[in-house]
Amino acid sequence: MSPLSRRTILKALGWSATGIAVVAGGGCALPVIPPRNEPTTEDAAAWISLRPEGHFEIYSPRAEMGQGIVAGLRLVAAEELGVGPEQVRAVYPDTALVPLCRATVGSDSMKVYGPLMARAAAALALAIRRQAAARLDADPAAARLGADGVMVEGQPTLPYAALASHPAILVGEDELAAASPQSLTAEGSRQVIGTALPTDGIRAIVTGNGPLYADDIRLPGMLFGSMLRSDGIDGTLAAIDDSACRELPGYAGLVQGDGFAGILAERRGMLTRALAALRMQDNFAADLSSDTLAARIDIDVALAKGTLEHVLTDDGALGADGFDIDLRLDVPLAAHASIEPRTAVARFADGGGLEVWTATQDAFYVRKRLAREFGLSEDEVVVHGMRIGGGFGGRTLVAAELDAARLAKASGRPVKVQWSRRDEFRAGFHRQPSSHRIRAAADAEGRITRWWHAFRAGHVIFTSAAMGPGLQFATSFIADPGTARGALPPYAAGASRVEFEDVRLPVPTGPWRGLGAGPNCWAVETAVDALARRHGFDPVAFRLANMAEGHPRLAAVLRQAAAMAGWDRADKRDDGTALGVACGIYKEMSYAAAVARVAQTDNGPRVTKLWCAQDCGLVVNPDQVRAQIEGNLTWGIGMALYEELTVEDGRILGDSFFDYAMPRYAQVPEMEIALIEGAAEPSGAGETAIVCAAAVTNALAAIDGAPVTRLPAAV
Amino acid sequence: MRIMLNGQSVAIPEEMADEPLLFVLRDHFALNGPRFGCGVGSCGACTVLVDGAATRACGISAEAVDGAEIVTLEGLVRGETLHPVQQAWIAESVPQCGYCQNGQIMTAVALLNATPAAHEAEIAAAMDDVLCRCGTHTRIAKAIRTAQTAMKEASQ
Repeated sequence: MSPLSRRTILKALGWSATGIAVVAGGGCALPVIPPRNEPTTEDAAAWISLRPEGHFEIYSPRAEMGQGIVAGLRLVAAEELGVGPEQVRAVYPDTALVPLCRATVGSDSMKVYGPLMARAAAALALAIRRQAAARLDADPAAARLGADGVMVEGQPTLPYAALASHPAILVGEDELAAASPQSLTAEGSRQVIGTALPTDGIRAIVTGNGPLYADDIRLPGMLFGSMLRSDGIDGTLAAIDDSACRELPGYAGLVQGDGFAGILAERRGMLTRALAALRMQDNFAADLSSDTLAARIDIDVALAKGTLEHVLTDDGALGADGFDIDLRLDVPLAAHASIEPRTAVARFADGGGLEVWTATQDAFYVRKRLAREFGLSEDEVVVHGMRIGGGFGGRTLVAAELDAARLAKASGRPVKVQWSRRDEFRAGFHRQPSSHRIRAAADAEGRITRWWHAFRAGHVIFTSAAMGPGLQFATSFIADPGTARGALPPYAAGASRVEFEDVRLPVPTGPWRGLGAGPNCWAVETAVDALARRHGFDPVAFRLANMAEGHPRLAAVLRQAAAMAGWDRADKRDDGTALGVACGIYKEMSYAAAVARVAQTDNGPRVTKLWCAQDCGLVVNPDQVRAQIEGNLTWGIGMALYEELTVEDGRILGDSFFDYAMPRYAQVPEMEIALIEGAAEPSGAGETAIVCAAAVTNALAAIDGAPVTRLPAAV
Repeated sequence: MRIMLNGQSVAIPEEMADEPLLFVLRDHFALNGPRFGCGVGSCGACTVLVDGAATRACGISAEAVDGAEIVTLEGLVRGETLHPVQQAWIAESVPQCGYCQNGQIMTAVALLNATPAAHEAEIAAAMDDVLCRCGTHTRIAKAIRTAQTAMKEASQ
């Protein structure tokens, strides 16, 4: 039967036929690339102003998803202005307000944007001093900014509200050049930097007062929509029958376009009901499973064929045998599982312009993608970045925004799309699975003589979740830097080779908390621990003895974490509990070490205490750096013990959180955290402390006498 | 059909009677406190108090709470004064992304109302099914103890 006649027949039976390849991000002829520009001082000038109401306002160039960057930028601005952080308010990334900026990724927001914010705020302080001096007929050098306003000796304080007329006081070019920000330098004296400030918007979070997240946006005449997708991986929808939906009050219809289909309803409850009443036929290959996925990245199959595609280091003669350890390590697919599902609201104006409210890590990429989709100029698309209910790398692509905009265009009404939990698992992208082989040897003195780490993993940056076939082909010979992250060990070896292959997988994979660093550091730290234990060396002392030159800050955090945990005094084998240790460097900028105490119980392994020391340079906001570390430690527990996304019969399984295990209240132990400021500038807390995953499994290895070779360990 | 919503008697539209309470609260009453996380009661982000009990608003229909007293996150505030649990959440700087915190706070309020001196095992039993992805669990534990102390002092 030809496709055409099949379609005709289906139509006659009441089905409306379609042919939808469901690819996250959609399939456009020409690729849309996210903006990659580095921020400049000129950009920074637009980030801050003194409002006529008398408060300072920053237009945050960084998205807020719980990592605390907005509070950090407020502290930096407040420090330079000489005011309290509560006097500095923030507006979240909005393409109509903030100069073009790249995605909030890479854990370097404070490192890159902090100093620029400091310069912009220092420049604003200068502009304010000049205006105030002119008003008071004084020398600008004699004017000082304080909490209540500008002060000149012998005169009453000039309040900010009296100073700033309409429009607000902005930063000019000459002030930007003349400013000398001090707050993030070694010489700077600091008043508010280094004090604890809770996450921006905390009062609204705990009271429900005010629109924070995309779901808090309600527009007049707004419909609720849902895209229809195949249940299977890389599947297509063959046919959709919505005849049963048409009986339902509030059902607003089926919409089909080029490469998509969706339904709309007046209310959310009706949408849920319509989705249940809908009949769909979809096609997908049912042979894909967790096992067949694992087979595609099987490191031993690749090694049997020869060397791997990308070599990260190759130094000295490894030899072929006589290794002390020879470990095969496997890390499965895992989900972001943010509690907020992807959500967006879209509205087309009468003039054709498009406005979108969404939780995205990359507002300008969303703008660019939507402009292309609807043939608009980028100025005709405004993306309002809302607070993100958990990012973790998962909000870097265009997803619910495109769904909502397409349905808004088709219906002529504003549309809210909120992904279901099933959508999140089926249509999102996930942590790349990886397969590692590590062979290593040490001499009798405890020096690592040989280190050979080969691994295969799914893509992270050059992911099929983000790019069409053309770009996939174009990047197929380039080593995926996301997949490679964290693979080079911080230890010196007589001979070493680290090589890998990024494998194009049928399951969409992409950035997940730390990209390759989580899995790769886990593999490295599992192997180095096993090598130490094999020779009977103390795992902490062995690491310190083998640490490559140039890592004194890593040695310092390792010593600190071990001291906090009482590593030297601990009886590591009493009553089924043990300590495990791990350490690592994140993006060559931040350092962490963790010690985990783990108990083997009748209900499986249980982490009973964690100690962590981290050095990410100057700490702007200790409260939020600690929170970031607590998050990474928790993810380390999840990664080590619980998390795996299962693929079965061609589908990614999971309809709710009942189907995806992640750390719960009683599984997260007390944490003792030390911050070491080993540099005069901030480097970004990053996803450094996720090395804790290996500390957990190394504790299990100490209990069991054999390394954990497959994650998650508690299954 | 009427409910007492945050101290006010309000009518639920007839056509929404059999829809999840969460959608009525969010979309009809425009409340931001209860949040959608999963739709099937697996995360707790939508938790509200129904006659004092922590209840997942996504899994219960509006008509099932006819005549009941519903309190949402917004309803914990008295004038400008936050509930001791809300205050503790700020004092201990609990939220990261913040999305789940409605469920954490409402569950803690229900627990402490019923069992003011709840010990660690009781707290763990109540909080274990309210998911947080950011890893705020240890701060939640501290904030609950802080709130317990404040509520005890206030009642003396």
